[in-house]
Amino acid sequence: MYNFEFAKAKTIADAVKALSSGDAQALGGGQTLLPTMKQRLAAPTTLVSLNAIPEMIGVCVNDAGEVCIGGATTHATVAREAAAHYPALAALASHIGDPAVRNRGTIGGSLANNDPSACYPAAALGSGAVIKTNARDIAADDYFLGMFTTALDEGEIITEVRFPVPQKANYQKFVQPASRFALVGVYVAKYAGGVRVAVTGAASDGVFRWAEAEAALSADFAATALDALAVPGNDMIADLHGSADYRAHLVKVMTKRAVAAAA
Amino acid sequence: MGQLGSRVGLYDAATVRVSATGTIQVMTGAHSHGQGHETVFAQVVADKLGIAEAAVEIVHGDTSKIPFGMGSYGSRSLAVCGSAMDRALDKIIAKGKKIAAHMLEAAEGDITFENGSFSVTGTDKAKSFGEIAFSAYVPHNYPLETLEPGLEETAFYDPNNFTYPAGAYLCEVEIDPDTGKVTICSFTCADDFGNVMNPMVVEGQVHGGVAQGIGQALVEHTAYDENGQLLTASYMDYAMPRADDLPFYQVDHSCVTPCSHNPLGVKGCGEAGAIGSPPAVVNAVIDALHRAGMDHVDHIDMPLTPARVWAAMQA
Ligand SMILES: Cc1cc2nc3c(=O)[nH]c(=O)nc-3n(C[C@H](O)[C@H](O)[C@H](O)COP(=O)(O)OP(=O)(O)OC[C@H]3O[C@@H](n4cnc5c(N)ncnc54)[C@H](O)[C@@H]3O)c2cc1C
Repeated sequence: MYNFEFAKAKTIADAVKALSSGDAQALGGGQTLLPTMKQRLAAPTTLVSLNAIPEMIGVCVNDAGEVCIGGATTHATVAREAAAHYPALAALASHIGDPAVRNRGTIGGSLANNDPSACYPAAALGSGAVIKTNARDIAADDYFLGMFTTALDEGEIITEVRFPVPQKANYQKFVQPASRFALVGVYVAKYAGGVRVAVTGAASDGVFRWAEAEAALSADFAATALDALAVPGNDMIADLHGSADYRAHLVKVMTKRAVAAAA
Repeated sequence: MGQLGSRVGLYDAATVRVSATGTIQVMTGAHSHGQGHETVFAQVVADKLGIAEAAVEIVHGDTSKIPFGMGSYGSRSLAVCGSAMDRALDKIIAKGKKIAAHMLEAAEGDITFENGSFSVTGTDKAKSFGEIAFSAYVPHNYPLETLEPGLEETAFYDPNNFTYPAGAYLCEVEIDPDTGKVTICSFTCADDFGNVMNPMVVEGQVHGGVAQGIGQALVEHTAYDENGQLLTASYMDYAMPRADDLPFYQVDHSCVTPCSHNPLGVKGCGEAGAIGSPPAVVNAVIDALHRAGMDHVDHIDMPLTPARVWAAMQA
């Protein structure tokens, strides 16, 4: 690791200011960024820690009934504090990595990173969440722009994520045997206005919505409603851990299981 | 081993140093890095001499202290180094008998060593092991003309054959028909390791070996791409078996056929688990697929990852 400066912001404004100078980068839980720096794949001159900004930490429910999670809230806190309000989301958080990862890693860090195998992107897209930053509100549908790519501008930080709470929801994660990230993860959420299905781990462009499944499930929220559907393998990731066809197959299997578990 | 054509002596060595107070240090050529030599070797010494295990210290790994040995590998430590230790103890006892014969004014051939005591056969005249050790180092009443003071012996032991442990491993699996994921439901190992010096340590060796073997069968894989680039360069891609990949094991070693050619009657146990488990796991998977009507699958390359098992099921 190269030398770097370390700044611990106390307010969002402080953090934004610190991030505007030079080659500064936000630090959440460091679960992704620090290993990247150790491998010298990133060399920011300054790290701006977001972990001591009270307004960015915690879980609450707003007047609209949405679950609001501060951008620097750890997975462990979400697993604990969101359980009563949005169980499927809390369950997802409780299966990210291991306890060490969950006690450091944050929702903002995960969404900013947008790893194609990460879990939170599926929850955010599957719930039609709003990603609030220091500058604006971004709908999840406009936020994920491809593998490790998001709508965030340079120096823009995720301050909060707002999740509309569905009637029913479930996340099914089929783990990659080594990393235990999602080889395929499917988030299914049923709202009054329809069903959303978000898939992570599978596609080379990262998390995506499976439109045909959403239509079928909005008409009939049962696993059997998916019987006639198939996901094409064209855009799927193919690697050591699974072919494109295998991933495409798993998308359907995991979607059915999520529906069965949610129903 | 030289006699079997290995063209080197695959011996090992042990030095047994008895102190003036009767405590014992054993310097071994074999090294313990988790196998439990400190426990088992001390037990063997204590049993043979009829003294407390706490009086025995096993010294290993420091080349400035130990005799030159061949090391721990090939499930050989107790069978080879343990036998060297046993031979060195024979020399200790033989010398002890000479000292006892002098102290008890009897012929050396009339001395019996049993339960930590040197006695004149058929009489109640006896000296404890500790008294003999003391006399060896504080030689007042001692045949200095014919016997050196001190009680320390080294032996090298070169086995004249391999040991032949045998076992049977039973594995039961379930395969998720939708994903190809293999779950091990139960795993039973029965091994004949000859004499078992410490059942718990032997079970531990089998447990560790089976975990390693299951890892090999189901997850571990060093993969390269077509350009020779290593694809599994970190634990993000190289899967190690973890506790929740493994079942609880049943381990049995009730069948005991002592090894016929080493003094301890022991056979190697270190590698059995890792050798028996991969074929058991793979055969169980193939059998499960056959039972589900997929007779066409009679081979899947390890590791049997979900993706590979699923692909075999589709073929
Ligand atoms: C062993 C291990 C297992 C894991 N398993 C899983 C898993 O199963 N599923 C899963 O989803 N993830 C998994 N992760 C990833 C984990 O969830 C990380 O927490 C996450 O990827 C990054 O979050 P972080 O807070 O640590 O971010 P950091 O590493 O601190 O930062 C990551 C990136 O996000 C930026 N950033 C951080 N916070 C913000 C913010 N508030 N606003 C804008 N940008 C920000 C940083 O500048 C950096 O570019 C695992 C990680 C490890 C090490």
